[in-house]
This record gives sequence, structure tokens and C-alpha cells, in this order.
Amino acid sequence: MDFISATFIVFVVILAGVYFMAPDKVKWLVLLAGSYIFYMASSVKLLLFLLFTTAVTFVCGLALGDINDKLSAYLKEHKQELSREDKKVLKNQASRKKKYVVAAAVLINLGLLVFLKYFNFIGGNLNSLLLRLGVGRTIPTLNLLLPLGISFYTLQSIAYIVDLYRGKYQPDRNFFKFSLFMSFFPQIIQGPIARYDQLAHQLYEPHKFEYTRVTQGVQLILWGFMKKLILADRLAVAVNLIFDNSASYEGFLLFFAAAGYGLQVYADFSGGMDIARGAAQILGIKLELNFERPYFATSISDFWRRWHITLGSWMKDYVFYPLSLSKAFAKLGKRTRKVFGNYVGKKLPTFLSFFIVFLLVGVWHGSSWKYVAYGIWNGTIIVSSILLDPFYEKFLEKCHVNTKCFSWKFFQMVRTFILCSFGRFFSRAVSCMTAVDMIKRTVANPNPWVFFDGSFLELGLEYKDFYVLYIAILVLLAVGVMQEKGIHIREKIAEQNLYFRWMIYIGAVVAVLIYGNYGTGYAVGEFIYQQF
Amino acid sequence: MKEQLMGILKDLRADVDFEKEKKLIDDGILDSFDIVTLVSELNSEFDVEINVMDLEPENFNTIEAMLELIEKLQEEG
Repeated sequence: MDFISATFIVFVVILAGVYFMAPDKVKWLVLLAGSYIFYMASSVKLLLFLLFTTAVTFVCGLALGDINDKLSAYLKEHKQELSREDKKVLKNQASRKKKYVVAAAVLINLGLLVFLKYFNFIGGNLNSLLLRLGVGRTIPTLNLLLPLGISFYTLQSIAYIVDLYRGKYQPDRNFFKFSLFMSFFPQIIQGPIARYDQLAHQLYEPHKFEYTRVTQGVQLILWGFMKKLILADRLAVAVNLIFDNSASYEGFLLFFAAAGYGLQVYADFSGGMDIARGAAQILGIKLELNFERPYFATSISDFWRRWHITLGSWMKDYVFYPLSLSKAFAKLGKRTRKVFGNYVGKKLPTFLSFFIVFLLVGVWHGSSWKYVAYGIWNGTIIVSSILLDPFYEKFLEKCHVNTKCFSWKFFQMVRTFILCSFGRFFSRAVSCMTAVDMIKRTVANPNPWVFFDGSFLELGLEYKDFYVLYIAILVLLAVGVMQEKGIHIREKIAEQNLYFRWMIYIGAVVAVLIYGNYGTGYAVGEFIYQQF
Repeated sequence: MKEQLMGILKDLRADVDFEKEKKLIDDGILDSFDIVTLVSELNSEFDVEINVMDLEPENFNTIEAMLELIEKLQEEG
């Protein structure tokens, strides 16, 4: 079931109706049924994968909870007799048992994801290697389908297991309630990746119909529709044309395609997030933010704190910290300190962690060398900016550059936008080589005359489309500026007069109907992140 | 011990007023890079083993909270 469809709107309306009328005790069952119906509307067969991961995670969760409980009970009972050494030994034993359970859960669930997503990529590359070694292509290409949302719900399940290992909370002992946590329909397709202690209790607690909350949810859904249909799908026309025929373009037109793709992906993904959060809000559930005005970022590091926040946060808690604070990395740090001195040596292990995180972020997007390149691009920029930071600061001081004024911040935002856009070549081009070639031809062939000779009108968009794009971007900018200042837009609108409010709501619906880009035959473009 | 800790913090981020700030993590004043660098310094200076499970905001939001964490870990041995 597509988010952008009349079916989805009808689905949400009916589900909300049934939910609010149901008795409190079974409200969560309504959500569970709705979520599974939503998933089966996409594919009944692939549901088995979701069920499998849910079952494995649930059982391993119980095992971890049992080990934790047995240990606590034993320690409490024998508090007086046990020495500090004895307690340590018992804790280490329990830790080791838990590690086996975590390893099992992660290997099975992550293994399944890796197999389905990367088998053909790895196989293809191994085949090329084997061919070069004279052995020939021996690894078959399998016809593998990717279950909806697998890249998202797998990470969610790993977070749950590792949290239990860390003793953060008790495992869920109700398989059906846990299934709801793993399949909640607004977030199953493309996130936000939720944490158990933040989401689960909200799903299980009953929520009543509350006019303000429900209407704000509807408004958020409308806003998401606007971003997706008016901005994202319209930009897609030109972006797709250029990327599909990249050899025919150069210079500023290529840059326009990359920057345009960046905006398209933002409007598409964040629009999808708005629809997800809006639908959840109607039902009384608060999903985490995935975006915080990423194009206001002043550096690539800042950008990744504002873009796909739940993925970054997951990487931080389950890859970056465990890796950086591991004994192996501590040992590495001691060695690099000896070789490279205090300044660089201390930071090298952390740089390695950053690199690994960004490689994973890149590769998470898909099985292609271009995504590896995307990861390396981001990792390199961030690591080098940390390394060069003190030199850069001294340089700015010497040049008497005022870094507290708005024009400096504006410069930083433009710089980040340009860097980001170049990165987009990797995530959108058909292959890594094409991306590199496009970057070369962007920089080597500046062609400022394209802004005046009508080239932009040969990209599948008319004059009117560009005006719509400008206005859409201006509206997004205005909303962004207000949000940066801490203004809550929907609440601000709610404070205004009735006529003004309804003008905005009706205007928004009309804008979607008239200016939405419905493509040929009204086939609405799929969400970009649905494929991951 | 507080002066020692203050020295490490000032070395890490000279631009932050560690006496005044009460929400070093919650307000994003210290980022993940700072935290990891800080923790490895604390582990070697105070001979403790701060691990991932100790990385809760409550333990790092103020300099006092950090001292409490170090003392607790030193006691546990």
C-alpha cells in the first residue's frame, strides 16, 4: 500500500475510527491487525520474513531477560556470602552467556538481511575476481526479493537485543504485543527506526480521540503529501532525465541534477516521514524526528546530525560507541599514540570508527560500489575536518574573519550544500564510475550560459514548473527558519483566526491537487527510501 | 580529582565552561567524538573501565556527574 494513495487515506480513516471506538484493552490489537493488513497489502509471502525476524528476536529477548533475572536473583540471595571477586566472576559468566544469545540473534537477523540484500553484489564481484584468476563464474545470481522495510526493522530488532544485553529494560513477554512493535505500519516502510523503550509503551497504551492532536496529525500528513507531490516528484522529472542521459550534459546542468536530487530526496524522504508521524499522531503515538532542517547545517558533521537522525543515532549507539570504547580499539590507540604522537595518535582509532560507521551508512543504502564510495566520501570529509580544525581556526583568525556573524553562517551553509550535492552524484548515478565521470565533467566544463539559453526548459519541466519549484522551496525555507527559531508551525496556525486557518488548509489541499506532479497516467512515484 | 578532570575537559574543549554547563550531553555541547576521546582519557587517567552502558546522559551532563561515575567505578574495582 502506497502512502500517497487514496487507499492509504481510506485505510487510516477506517483504522482510526475502529481504534477510537474499540475498548481500551484491545486497542493495541486493532493496531496490530491494521499493521499486518498494511504489510500484506504489499506482499503476503514476504510477511514470513518479518514474522521470522520477530520470532527470533522475541525468543532471544526472553533468553537475555532470563539470564539477567537469574543473575540478579542469585546476587541478591547470596549478597552476604559473595566476595567482590565472586560477584565479578558470576557477572562475567552471565555476560558470556548473553554474548552467545546476542550473537545468535544478530547473525540470524542481520545475516538474513545481508544475504537478501548483498548476495548478488558479493557474488558478482567474486565472480569477476574468479574470472580474472581463470576459474570462471561459479557463483549463481539468485532471484531474491527484498521484504518491505527489512533494512529498517532488522536494525530495530538489533537495537532491542543489544539494549537487553545492556540491561536497559525487561524483555517483552507478549509475542503479539512485540509483533506490533516490530510491524507498526507508519514506520515499517522507511522508519523512523524506533527504540523499544521509546515506542512500545505508547503502542500498548490506549489513546483517546482528541480533536487538537488528531487534526494536527492530519495537517502533518497533508504537509508530507505537499512535499512529495509538489516538490519531490516534480524535481524527479528533470533529475531522472539528466541522470538517465548523463553523457549529454555537463557543468552546471549536471550540478543542478545532483543538487536537485538532494532536494528531491529530502522532500521525498522527509515528506514520507511527515505522513508516518502524522498517521501515528492521529492514533496518539509520537514517532521520533528523522530530519531537523538538514540544509541549515554548517558542516557535513552537522548535516549528519540533522539527516536521517534515527539511523545516525542507531549507528552511534550500536556501532560507533561499542567500537571506539572496545578493548581492541583502546590497545590500537596506545600503539598509534606511540607512532603518530599525541595529537593524531589519540584520535586515530576514533577516526577508524567514524570511517566504519560511514561505510556502513553508505552500504546500508544498497549493494553497489557507488554506495561504498558515498560512505568513503562522507567519512573522509568528516575525519579530515576534525583533523584540520585547529589549523583552519588559526587561519580564520589570521584573516580576521568574523565567525559569529550571519554571513559566515550563510557561507558555511552554502559550502555544506555544495559538498552535499557532490556527494549525491554517488547515491543517484547508475554506477560508481558514472558518478566519478559526472563529477569530473561538472567541474571541468563550467557552462554558465545554460542559465540564459533555455537549456533548463528542455529537462521535461516548463516555466510554470520552475515557478512552482521556487515557491515550494521558499515555503520550505520559511518553515525551516521558523522551526530553527523554535516556533511550532501547527500550533502557531491553530492560534490564528478560523478563516485564516481554513484558508491555509484548503489552500494546501488545492495546491496538492493542482500542483502535485502526478506523472504520466497518474502513477505516483514510489518513495525513494522504500527500496532500501 | 576535580582539578584533574577539569584539566582533561579543558584540554578537550577549551571553548566550554564546564563549571556552568549542566546539560553537556542533552544540549549537544559535547558530541560523540568528544565523548569517545574523553572516555579513553578518563579510563587511562583514573584507571577505570567506562563502557558503553555507562554512556547515559545522566553520567556526563555535568562535571559533578562525571566525578560520581569515576568514583563509583573506582570503588567497584
